Amino acid sequence: MIREKETTLYLGPQHPGITGNMMVKLKVQGDTVVKAATHVGYLHRAFEKLIERRNWLNAFTLLCRFCVPEPDPMELTYARAVEELDNREVPERAKYIRVIVMELARLQSFMLWYAGQAGSAGLYTLGQWSVGDRNYILDLFEELTGGRIYHMFIWPGGVRRDIPEGWKDKVLKTMDYLEKRQDDYNQLMFDNTIFQKRAQGVGIVPKDKAIEWGVVGPPLRGVGIKSDVRIDEPYEVYDKLNFEVPTAEGGDIWARALVRKEEFRQSISIIRQALEKMPEGEYTNKVPNPMKWVVPEGQAWAKTESVRGEIGFYVASNGTNKPYRVHAKGAAYTHGVTVLEKILPGQNIADVSFIMNSLGVCPPEIER
Amino acid sequence: MTELIKEQHLLDTITNTFKLKGRVIRDRRVEVFADKELVSSILLFAKNQQGFIHLAHMTCIDWIDENKFELIYTIWSPVEKIHLFVKTKIDRENPEMENIDSIWDQANTYEREMREMFGIQFPGLIGEQDFVLEDWDEMPPMRKDFDTAKYASETYFQRPGREDAKDVRETISERSGTKVPDFAKKYSREK
Repeated sequence: MIREKETTLYLGPQHPGITGNMMVKLKVQGDTVVKAATHVGYLHRAFEKLIERRNWLNAFTLLCRFCVPEPDPMELTYARAVEELDNREVPERAKYIRVIVMELARLQSFMLWYAGQAGSAGLYTLGQWSVGDRNYILDLFEELTGGRIYHMFIWPGGVRRDIPEGWKDKVLKTMDYLEKRQDDYNQLMFDNTIFQKRAQGVGIVPKDKAIEWGVVGPPLRGVGIKSDVRIDEPYEVYDKLNFEVPTAEGGDIWARALVRKEEFRQSISIIRQALEKMPEGEYTNKVPNPMKWVVPEGQAWAKTESVRGEIGFYVASNGTNKPYRVHAKGAAYTHGVTVLEKILPGQNIADVSFIMNSLGVCPPEIER
Repeated sequence: MTELIKEQHLLDTITNTFKLKGRVIRDRRVEVFADKELVSSILLFAKNQQGFIHLAHMTCIDWIDENKFELIYTIWSPVEKIHLFVKTKIDRENPEMENIDSIWDQANTYEREMREMFGIQFPGLIGEQDFVLEDWDEMPPMRKDFDTAKYASETYFQRPGREDAKDVRETISERSGTKVPDFAKKYSREK
């Protein structure tokens, strides 16, 4: 009898499935979800509007806060859009440093994902390990940029400063360590029966609908579609580095986890190659006085591959020292609304936060 | 420009089919300008016949001096690896645009956001009226004539002791009896 009665369940705005605040309004029968609707609005900080009142470089203090677990792709994407408007060349060395920063950012974000994904299945040990190890990467960031989470390091024209002495060796050492540690994570996660049972066949994104719903990144590769901005539209020096774009079949949480597991390896390999191939030279093509820097009139679109998928920035200039319009589209914008609302019906309530984590839903990115 | 053959071919196909203006911006970037009535036909044509299956992004720019909203649809072809921007301008007074969520489900989210942030109506759009903002009865906030500073000063009160909204550097120098350095004065609010 209880199964027939439909009840409304408000999941959130605070719950373990997510970085930030977002509510999912669920209609449930028993413990099965019948209908889901995403409610955002708890984190709206009007960044896009505020950026219009600031100069081109001031925008960086806001940009990196678009998504807490991975601030760097936002900086890079915006910087690339501004460079396109301003016709600003980036020195080769800066491109390599950017790639290293991006891949380190990817690794630290993967480690948060390990923690979140395992934590929402009840495997708390893994979260303690990976978040603990993540601090080694944050240490590297602190030495390079001065900040642990928000870096504001990638600027139009290059990066803010050159890599410090001895930093390269520290990165290589950390990579060796993480490579070994990942085996431990994987053992704890993929060999665990609870994780296997909970992840396999749950939260399936149908292959034929994936692109229509706006699925990007690991969830798209998890349905067997090989798509990665680093390959499709290579930026910086990704076309000079060797790496694989892993895919998996099935479209469930398990497939997405397999993709991320392999991408972790690939990121380590990219960092090693980039450190080896990085040439000497300038690290920035310095921009003029930021208070007076005028970017020529025009519109530009840039996209990069973040850990959760494609991130794009549309930037319009009217030829003044402030951006006329900046619009950001992150992976969560579609994953957290359309995709989530479509795949939740039929799932168990206990799996909702598990699914959200595997899709990489990041609420601050949805509402900005 | 031999290397832009693909882009030029795409531009010619679309501009000739719909009698439009457009240009190749650079490699992998093509833009076309269309009237608002044509946008959904162009998008459908591009999606079904040219392989632009991925809607990468949709946005709106408020060109207040022209009294127009510019809507930009960015679509991507995974096969050709080209971005096509379909751009259209609509009136700022009673703005209305065709709803394209039957072409891409995900367009629904963008349209709901634009309805809220710019006040553009999309007839037939399903989804609750509120997306990010709740109980908002002011002017749609992303419009250029919405003044955030004015709104903030009218809605919120200053913290006690900061009613005069005086530059913090001057307040500190008054309290401590030290001089404000010249370089700091340059950026002072009180000239």
